[in-house]
Amino acid sequence: MNGPTSFIRGYVKIMIRGERCEQFVNLAAGKNVEIWDMRYMAGQGMRMKIMLADFFRIRPLLRQTSCRVHVEARYGLPFALQKMGRRKAFITGFFLFFVGLYLLSSLVWKVDVQGNMNIAEDDILKAARAEGIYVFQWSFRLKSQEELSRQLTHRLPGVSWVGVEKRGANITINVAESTKPEAKQLMNPRHLVAKADAVVTEIFTEQGRAKVRKNSRVKKGSILISGIIGSDQNPQAVVAKGKVKGLVWHEYQVSVPLLQKERTYTGAFEERNYIITGNRALQVSGYGKVPYDKYETITERSDAQIGPYKLPVGWMTEKLMEVHYIERHITEDEARKIAMEHAKSDALVKNGPDAKIRDENILHQEVKNGKVYLNIHFEVEQWIAEELPIIHQ
Amino acid sequence: MRRFARKIRKMTAELLDLPQDVLFDLPRVTMIGNAQVHIENHRGVLHFSNERLNLSISIGELELTGSDLVIRAIWPDEVIVEGKISKIQYMRTEGSN
Repeated sequence: MNGPTSFIRGYVKIMIRGERCEQFVNLAAGKNVEIWDMRYMAGQGMRMKIMLADFFRIRPLLRQTSCRVHVEARYGLPFALQKMGRRKAFITGFFLFFVGLYLLSSLVWKVDVQGNMNIAEDDILKAARAEGIYVFQWSFRLKSQEELSRQLTHRLPGVSWVGVEKRGANITINVAESTKPEAKQLMNPRHLVAKADAVVTEIFTEQGRAKVRKNSRVKKGSILISGIIGSDQNPQAVVAKGKVKGLVWHEYQVSVPLLQKERTYTGAFEERNYIITGNRALQVSGYGKVPYDKYETITERSDAQIGPYKLPVGWMTEKLMEVHYIERHITEDEARKIAMEHAKSDALVKNGPDAKIRDENILHQEVKNGKVYLNIHFEVEQWIAEELPIIHQ
Repeated sequence: MRRFARKIRKMTAELLDLPQDVLFDLPRVTMIGNAQVHIENHRGVLHFSNERLNLSISIGELELTGSDLVIRAIWPDEVIVEGKISKIQYMRTEGSN
């Protein structure tokens, strides 16, 4: 009888005193009063447990059998509740705790924005705020997610879709930006003029009026493609566009020493290991003097990691490689070749993409002070058009 | 007429192999070692103390003797007694059964 039901309904331990206890028990059992754990206590009477509801039903039986009852202990929920009723502050606090928990958990605590590339997060958050998504907002005041994502898509320019996802107290705004065609660069009316004195080898006019033809000789600054179109009476300035290639002469003065110094590794090396934290390094191995005259240091650093997180400690390895300088005498011929290579690559790099060397000539060559001096002439085919804005008078 | 009815009942009991308590309103006493006794079909408690429990039954009286007797539960026609039971005795039973 000590199951959960008896606890919920409440039961009492009572002592029955009187001459006719047995009769009382028989009568009570006959009235379906649940009695359990009945024990005879010499000189006191009978102790038993009955349900709280039954306790009020046994009064007439007691009178009938002229027994007396004494409640010894109370058990169960009704009594516990009664006791709690007296501790109002405790109960209030208990419920306030749940109320607080509920209220706090129905606040929005975090708003995240994902997937934005070009639109600033602040702009998205501002739009979201206008739609009622912000930190410390009540979640029950939020509109439905479809509604929110529709409104946000409306509100934000340059997005094709906005998804609003609520997970607990966090809101994640997923943005899919629409890809826009690249904006056209705005340009002022202009001419295209020659960058250098050249012979035009190729001209292609996209917009404007070509002033020169293939094989015509142009001076630096002369107009190649004019931005003024239309008749003389009714001129119109446009953005001249086109591509002009020309042959340009370049002269290079190069000097190459006949004694070449080369650096090589001997293959011998020493290693030093360090433990590093922050900016400090503690040498672990490789103490002692460096046995090499000349050496180079190659430093390798690796930070300890746990998953994607870098730890503030790491390992650094220094490799000291012995180097050796070799001096080599080269012939004038070799020196010239080297000089030509240098000059060529320089010419190609300086004169823009697609530059091609059409012709090369050594104008002058002499050996002086252990060096070969060269005067080289290149004919380079390159882009020669340069922009010149048209200024209205 | 009563004798006849009883005879019929007894016959049925023997024919159908039914337990007698069902038909004759006899107490059924189940005992687990000497620790617990389960008595069905009792007619009320006559006396209860630590050493002795007297129960009224249809055919007279049933006396349980022992020590530390506790009535674990009691219903109108059923009682569970626990304790150290040393003796169960039928008293004042009528001879015929």
